[in-house]
Amino acid sequence: MIEIALAGNPNTGKTSLFNILTNSYEYVGNWSGVTVEKKVGMLNNKKGHLIDLPGIYSLNPLSKDEGVATRFLIEENFSMVLNIVDASQLERNLYLTIQLLEYGKPVVIGLNMVDVAKGRGIMVNEKKLSEKLQSPVLPIVARTGSGCKELAGLLTNEKQENKPLYISYGQYLDQAMESLVAKMPEAENLPPKRWLALQFFEGNEVVHSLLKTLMPVEELQRIFAETEKLVQMEEGAKSLSYHIRAVRAEYIKGVLDVSLQKGDEVAYTLTDRIDNIVTNKFLGIPIFILFMYLIFKLTFDWIGSPISDLLDGFLTGPLSDGLTSMLQAAGASAFIKAVILDGIVAGVGGVLVFVPQIMILFFLISFIEDSGYMARIAMVMDKTLESIGLNGKAFIPMIIGFGCNVPGIMAARTIEQPKERLLTIILTPLMSCSARLSVYSLFVGAFFTQNQALVVLSLYLLGIVIALTLAKIFSSTILKEEGSMFVIELPPYRIPQWRTLMRNTWEKGKGFIKKAGTFIFGGSVIIWFLSYSGPAGMGVDMNKSFLALIGGAIAPLFEPIGFGSWQAGAALITGFLAKEVVVSTMNIIYVAPDLHTLQGVMAHHFTSLSAYSFMAFLLLYVPCLATVAVIKKETGSAKWTWFSIIYALLIAYIVSLIIYQGGKLLGF
Amino acid sequence: MVLTDIKAGGKAKIINTEHVNVLVRRRLLDLGIMEGTEISIKRILPFGGPFAVEADGQWVGIRRSEAKLIQVCHS
Repeated sequence: MIEIALAGNPNTGKTSLFNILTNSYEYVGNWSGVTVEKKVGMLNNKKGHLIDLPGIYSLNPLSKDEGVATRFLIEENFSMVLNIVDASQLERNLYLTIQLLEYGKPVVIGLNMVDVAKGRGIMVNEKKLSEKLQSPVLPIVARTGSGCKELAGLLTNEKQENKPLYISYGQYLDQAMESLVAKMPEAENLPPKRWLALQFFEGNEVVHSLLKTLMPVEELQRIFAETEKLVQMEEGAKSLSYHIRAVRAEYIKGVLDVSLQKGDEVAYTLTDRIDNIVTNKFLGIPIFILFMYLIFKLTFDWIGSPISDLLDGFLTGPLSDGLTSMLQAAGASAFIKAVILDGIVAGVGGVLVFVPQIMILFFLISFIEDSGYMARIAMVMDKTLESIGLNGKAFIPMIIGFGCNVPGIMAARTIEQPKERLLTIILTPLMSCSARLSVYSLFVGAFFTQNQALVVLSLYLLGIVIALTLAKIFSSTILKEEGSMFVIELPPYRIPQWRTLMRNTWEKGKGFIKKAGTFIFGGSVIIWFLSYSGPAGMGVDMNKSFLALIGGAIAPLFEPIGFGSWQAGAALITGFLAKEVVVSTMNIIYVAPDLHTLQGVMAHHFTSLSAYSFMAFLLLYVPCLATVAVIKKETGSAKWTWFSIIYALLIAYIVSLIIYQGGKLLGF
Repeated sequence: MVLTDIKAGGKAKIINTEHVNVLVRRRLLDLGIMEGTEISIKRILPFGGPFAVEADGQWVGIRRSEAKLIQVCHS
């Protein structure tokens, strides 16, 4: 079995290629930094593994996800690199290629986006390029899959041995590298020493920490300082890294001189025209808000709700009736019947009803990601976010967080500045995820039938406004800025491919269905059991059940914010597992066979005002279990994890208090 | 002359990026924008917002405060 590393610049189509070559479904988007962790897939011919690394411009890492790739090269065993390069941006793509070739493992180059390059009048002669780089080069279009079969064949038949590319960096640096190489001790599994020396002189932090484990720090510092001084004096370079870059650029120029032909520059007319509108002086932000509004309209009023209603009709009609008669025929006991019908069907079914709405939301988020609009949103929002101590890139995790907070928090890795990243991680859970959507759908269906989309939109906006306010507070107190930065690649627009959209939607949505089958299934049974049993035994009146006792214990706390019933307390406790469990719990405790009955029953327990206060509390109160776990993993700090739970609880209580008491004063 | 002196749609050649934040300069380098690069200003966002610039077909968004530190000349 051979191990092949897939490396390339961000947004060059690595993940698309990965999906084709391994026939797996990874997440694809049209913005830099989709792949934040390495992923492994089995090649279609079962002869090797392909490891999809995060996109990098250079092996010298700047942000955390870039470090993943460099660390992989240093620490892991692999036999070959598949380097995907963007034919329309060859000059800067080759910068990484050179460093991979210097590393010395065999490199196969997939020349992607030849169609885009042609559109811009760039012709690449792959034969000449291959000759120059001493490695196979194959033109492909990863989006459509053209050329990928040939590439796959090449991978497993390629030679396993290769000599590192040797570029002379001038006599002074060459000599310094030689003497550093001579000083390095022998160690097992060490990357090629000249490559290590070169990366060290370029200022690669990951390589620097590796060398520190092998050699005294003082000696490394001395060698670096002496060499830099020498190169500055003799070569007239600003710094070592500048010098190295200049030598590489010269080399690349030599390669491109013979392998690249530029025709007349054709501008990105489509991209230009779209950008004229969506990043327009006055229209930029309104257009973004309009887009969000359309998304909600589609999800609720136009497509999502009608389908959800149909599904609800099926679950509560034919399915429940079928199950009931089956259980009757099988002679099931009353207990079994109650578990299945009142526990599982009510709990799991109550959540499944919202799958259509959630899928539509995921579909629309995928569309935005794949079209290239995401990077524009980040740019349009940068000024606003800068004023509160974040940068425009923080908006991407937040939008992804609308789907699910977990990938949203992971997407924060592309933010280079550590404090901005931490702040984004802590605030992303305030973005209203699709699981919370199921709870809103339930409540707006009962209390706000006339303005469903508008009320839900207001909750999403509430989450955003609170996140932005807290960002300002946190960044000017506990997380003082060290200087914020913002540079973003703006990819050309493209029309998302139907296949990719469906894949992404399914990838994101299936987790929700899986949860319904596991977490919510189990949770429903437990909740039902707690509602069925009590101190007095089994089959008790629900008001005397264990669930009522537990919910009742915390209920007085919620009295001032409008919902002091044991039912609300119990639902909120179970909501920590996953927010949609709140819906399951309510279905079970209000013994509602279908959505409309439940909404009818709820009208007796909530007013419109307390319903809104409940939704706001649910939006803010604690990140769900999975989100807490990912916060812990991404921040690596128990302190910040606890912080994100506790501040959320406090804020939720304060906001709901203001809504409920303020609303009462205003006479609602 | 600095980058912010150029109007939207205009072109210029970069002569110095020394004063730009180190991280920003590194990222611009990664994207192929450095001394000697010819860039055109594609869009300028309002209220002191970012600049979208293009160099060799590559579009990049940078902050105005950073653009102010990039010295350019007419190309």
